[in-house]
Amino acid sequence: MKTVFINCSPKKRLSASSWFLAIQRMFTGGKQVLVKLRTPADHAKVMEQLTDADAVVFAMPLYVDGIPSHVLGFLEKLERLSRETDLHFRMYAIANNGFIEGRQNEPLMRSLEHFCARSGLTWCGGVGIGGGVMLNVTRILFVVDIAILLLNMVLSAAQGGSLFPRDALWDFTSSALILLYFNLGVVFYLVRMGSAIRRGTGFGKKYTRILIPSFVFILFADIFFTVVSVLKGGVFRGWLARKEPENQ
Amino acid sequence: MRIILHDLGEQMNDRFREKCDAILCADGKYAPCQGCFNCWTKHPAECWIKDRLRQVSRVIGQADDLVIVTKNLYGGYSAAVKNVLDRAIGASTPFSTYRGREMHHTLRYGKHGLWKVLVYGDITEAEKKSFRTLAERNRINHGYARCEVQFLRDASEWEGLL
Repeated sequence: MKTVFINCSPKKRLSASSWFLAIQRMFTGGKQVLVKLRTPADHAKVMEQLTDADAVVFAMPLYVDGIPSHVLGFLEKLERLSRETDLHFRMYAIANNGFIEGRQNEPLMRSLEHFCARSGLTWCGGVGIGGGVMLNVTRILFVVDIAILLLNMVLSAAQGGSLFPRDALWDFTSSALILLYFNLGVVFYLVRMGSAIRRGTGFGKKYTRILIPSFVFILFADIFFTVVSVLKGGVFRGWLARKEPENQ
Repeated sequence: MRIILHDLGEQMNDRFREKCDAILCADGKYAPCQGCFNCWTKHPAECWIKDRLRQVSRVIGQADDLVIVTKNLYGGYSAAVKNVLDRAIGASTPFSTYRGREMHHTLRYGKHGLWKVLVYGDITEAEKKSFRTLAERNRINHGYARCEVQFLRDASEWEGLL
């Protein structure tokens, strides 16, 4: 069975979609192909992989309550290809948005369902994820945790202590468990969707989110954007002001 | 201020002109949003991509009423119209709030009036239902007071509805 995973994020690297696809691929099995769909230059390469696919997983961010425009352009082409050829894959989706409610991905899911209906493809559902950006940050934090652990091990060994200092191991383990907890809802549904892909069955639409209270999420999101805006300089350029259009 | 966003081609701009204060013609001749958030964090309400949509957030942000004329595509906006909307998220700020009992971004330009969508092209009943849901989601997300969605049998029917 061949499953094609399409990362539809326009970002070159470290997108939330790539994180969720990495988790999904761990629990899917079979022959797997991962492709990126960032620009029209990618269309031919992606379509080539779809001709003999049994299942396809589209992963994308929610843009203005719907499918990003660069993906819509691809879907229009794919609909034409599906009508002209014998495409027969089952389609699954992973949608993520920056807000905490996974259910905000519902209009995107519906659009993909309508696309399948018009293209003669089998819509099998997907997972809508809230807090996608912050969940993506957890994988970066995990890498930082590993780096800190390794540093502590080296320092401990250099000072004649144990190569496995207990305090450092405990800090790493507790931090990793907390990060895993944030992702548990996502992992739960992606494991189940992986099982559905392997069995060739429908999955339905499921919605989940980062597992923290929404007021805490909003606080962290505001801190995150404040720090980024200070670093990028937006804070000093009329950050929240009503900006008038300038002559272009 | 009343703004019309449409995908009917440049030739329609003259006919729309007397019906609004500004026109945005979605012809697809511009880049899609790259998801960089620079219009929030680096150059507020301005896109780093130097094409015709560089300042679209600042234009759409000024709207009291926004009228969108779009071809149906899978129960949503055409790719060209969606491209314009995707590039206009700088009309909000990076800060979050609750609106409609859900998380949304605060509004750089305050509250707006009417989010109106005129949909033409082949459309199924299921897609109509989805389009209404989508437009209502957009209304809440963008801070508009009211939302209307009308489905046209032909693109030329727009005239009596503006």
